[in-house]
Amino acid sequence: MFETLLFGMLAGIAIGCALGVVFHRNPVHCALLLVGVLISVAGIFILLHAQFVAALQVIVYAGAIMVLFLFVVMLLNIKGETPLLTPGAAKFFGFLFALIVFVELIWTAVQPSPEGQGMPDAAPLPADFGSPAALGRVLYTVWLYPFEITSILLLVAVVGAVVLAKRKFF
Amino acid sequence: MDLATLIEAVVKVHVVLGFVLLGVPLIVWMERKVLGHMQDRIGPQRVGPYGLLQTIADGIKLFMKEDILPTQADKVVYFLAPGIAVVTALAAMTVIPFGDTVTLFGREIPLRITDVNIAILFLLGATSMGVYGIVLGGWASNSKYPLLGGLRSSAQMISYELAQGISLIGVIMITGSLSLSEIGRQQEKLWFIVPQFFAFVIYVVCSVAETNRAPFDLAEAETELVAGFHTEFSSMKFALYFLAEYANMMVVSGVAITCFLGAWHGPLLPGPLWFLIKLTCFLFFYIWLRATFPRLRYDQLMAFGWKVLLPASLLNLAATAIVLTVMG
Amino acid sequence: MAPTVPLVWYQILAAVLFTIGVVGVLVRRSALVIFMSIELMLNAVNLSFVAFSRQHASMDGHIFVFFVMAVAAAEVAIGLAIIVAIFRNKETASVDDVHLLKG
Repeated sequence: MFETLLFGMLAGIAIGCALGVVFHRNPVHCALLLVGVLISVAGIFILLHAQFVAALQVIVYAGAIMVLFLFVVMLLNIKGETPLLTPGAAKFFGFLFALIVFVELIWTAVQPSPEGQGMPDAAPLPADFGSPAALGRVLYTVWLYPFEITSILLLVAVVGAVVLAKRKFF
Repeated sequence: MDLATLIEAVVKVHVVLGFVLLGVPLIVWMERKVLGHMQDRIGPQRVGPYGLLQTIADGIKLFMKEDILPTQADKVVYFLAPGIAVVTALAAMTVIPFGDTVTLFGREIPLRITDVNIAILFLLGATSMGVYGIVLGGWASNSKYPLLGGLRSSAQMISYELAQGISLIGVIMITGSLSLSEIGRQQEKLWFIVPQFFAFVIYVVCSVAETNRAPFDLAEAETELVAGFHTEFSSMKFALYFLAEYANMMVVSGVAITCFLGAWHGPLLPGPLWFLIKLTCFLFFYIWLRATFPRLRYDQLMAFGWKVLLPASLLNLAATAIVLTVMG
Repeated sequence: MAPTVPLVWYQILAAVLFTIGVVGVLVRRSALVIFMSIELMLNAVNLSFVAFSRQHASMDGHIFVFFVMAVAAAEVAIGLAIIVAIFRNKETASVDDVHLLKG
């Protein structure tokens, strides 16, 4: 009961903030609302016993990536543009396409699972599910190579960002 | 959850928050007194004995002042920003243990508000949210000096957060736990400042930068930026920023004590008292720093963070890992 | 301990968030907001990864979220650098004004 209530609240905040991100004029407000989405999704992660991922979400996403966003918005002093949305047919087709995507996703979500009728019952959780130790154990054994490749990716991103910021293009 | 647990939680929250809120005026008084003596002055002495009530008087004055709202300010964010600053500081306070357990009325009560098993991550999360209070305050005032202060602090806090987090990992590796009370418990014999001395130094430097204190107070450098991000804030909003800064000092000192300086352990005296003594010494150290060092230039600050502290913390991490592996 | 919130609710929430992100990417003009919408979509996907992970009691979904976050961080660093570079030259952050292959 309590869990359902909490889920409803967090989901409501997330959806409300997400709508704000897309339809608010001021980019700083958009960024703040996105932080709201990230934090409520982090709350939902905790409901799903994923404490470590939730902490990562707050520290990395909300704490670092979004501050970077805010930094750029403030540095460039970007104002909301008029008109807010792409004019003409592009807008119509944009909404239409989004609607199609939505229907498709919902349709897939409510499909009965292939193994049998309805959703399979949730499997029982091991005691340390979602803890940093459990994640680390999987990450550094099964997923070791992807992990190492990710570090190279991040290095490339750092170098790329520095090059883009330093050189004069165009 | 039974009634007793609820009462226990409520009482603990009130005690800790009351301690923080009453502690802040005392720290401010201490700061002014110590700074005064270090600069060959006496410091406040008119209100109350030794000027002890000076900060209370200042607080009441701030209450009474007109709350000015800049005409071009972004109203919602302007109201929100000081609140974020305070809330994140107080939230971080909840996971810091100030003692082991005591038995009261036949119940074993752990001396901390909550004991989550990812306390350090919670703490890093709360402090990284604290950046928003300052950045948004600077932006929402819609004025150039606060904006510059906000920009500076956002870059500064992101940069120093990295080295700060990495310096704590050494301790986590030794204890094998992310829970602050577990880390505290394991220091009964040996304080972690001994095996992790470099990490301690890095942590302390970073925490000064994280709290925007001198010599890293570039966000509010009054010689260049009037008062930095809180230039346009008056009355209680200013007081909230003040409160947040000092509460943050208590948080970072509390973490330093818990992770490196033996938490609540000490001879003879009870745990919470030892914690308090260490906290006071640490805060004194902060004030001492402020009285001693001139402010850094901004490029020096960034270069120091990225080129000295970050590599140093990584080296410390690697060294710790190697030593731990070799020793098994 | 069976979860009281069924998996399908999480899926629906993820679908809603994803769709809002899609709308943002398709109809907004500001490059920054489009970027934020992409983050929104990534988050919706993360949410469904974590939900499935809970359903099957396997940590693999969490690992995917971890990788998504790393990629998002890299993407934001590069993307924002590009936006800053464009803004320096064109004084605009609207995607409609950046329509030439050669500046």
